[in-house]
Amino acid sequence: MAAKTFHLTVARVGENVFDGDAVSVVLPGKDGVFTVLANHESFVSELKEGEAKIEAADGKHHHVPMPHGGIAEISANQATILL
Amino acid sequence: MALKDIKTKIGATKRMNTVTRAMEAVSAVKMRKTQAMAFAGRPYARAALAVLTRLSGSGNALRHPLTAVREVKKLGLVVLTSDKGLAGALNSGIIKRAAEAVAPYKVEDVTIYEYGKKGEEYFARRGYTVAKAVENKRDDVPLSVMEELTRELSEGFLAGTYDEVFVVYSNFKSTFEQLPTGRTLLPLSRERVSELVADVRPAKGKWSEELELKAPSSYEVESGGDILSVLIPRLVAVSLYHMLLESKASEHSARMVAMKSASDKSKEVARDLTRLYNKIRQAAITREVSEIVGGREALST
Repeated sequence: MAAKTFHLTVARVGENVFDGDAVSVVLPGKDGVFTVLANHESFVSELKEGEAKIEAADGKHHHVPMPHGGIAEISANQATILL
Repeated sequence: MALKDIKTKIGATKRMNTVTRAMEAVSAVKMRKTQAMAFAGRPYARAALAVLTRLSGSGNALRHPLTAVREVKKLGLVVLTSDKGLAGALNSGIIKRAAEAVAPYKVEDVTIYEYGKKGEEYFARRGYTVAKAVENKRDDVPLSVMEELTRELSEGFLAGTYDEVFVVYSNFKSTFEQLPTGRTLLPLSRERVSELVADVRPAKGKWSEELELKAPSSYEVESGGDILSVLIPRLVAVSLYHMLLESKASEHSARMVAMKSASDKSKEVARDLTRLYNKIRQAAITREVSEIVGGREALST
């Protein structure tokens, strides 16, 4: 059975880092590292500097460095991360 | 005009043509680069707007000092112009728009932030307070410059130095069309950010479809609910950054078009002068020949 996916957008000023379906993403939240899976509850968090680990729907793994932290917003089975 | 003068003038026109052609080529390259930058910034603005819209549409209302609407008595004005001229009506259009914006206020109630020399010259000459003037030299301006400016603007806004921050810049529509545009930056509101995003939305292509945004009923907010104090300054900086990118793309496009018409015109002038030169020369030759023939005939009879 295929894993459930959600739509993930990772945007940096001047460039779209990731835009597509993902199975999971691990983020360094201000209050600790958390993982977002499909159908996560609506949620906003500030992110610390660190790295976002994305598992895309096609099984590929991406590591996105976040040197200045960012903001994560999750609602309605989609996640937006602003770096 | 003497024959020699015309010849000098043809030479000068041709040299000018070389210069304008070179400037046109340079502007064309810069234009492509800045246009690409302006386009590349759009996804981020969209994403940021989406977050803001969903946040403000949910139970967590937008409550932040930077969104506080006050009666506007004092104005903070940011003018984005270019440093150099030779860009057609670009700067005069922006300055005209800016002058309209400050017209209802007294000179001492306006604080001006200048990005680019052209606007600074105009407002400094008319006795306005120019709080800060930055030269608009580089094309690849880092976001940090805008963040610094945003900090200053936010401080001024919060301290009550001004009740509204208005930005006048040139909105890039296409290579041939740049619109001088004025937008309120602070207090920030959803409508204004959507306006900005609508401005950057191209007529067609990948990012042209209207954003459809649904807000969930409520959000779980981590880190003590101060997410807005992170998001809002960031959004202001990004808005400002966008306007700068748009201005840059406009500047180079306007200059390219201006230089193109200058090149065309100088070519035309050179051609007309060459015609005139040939005509006068031919007339002189004909006169000399007829003089010689006339003289010879006078001798033979």
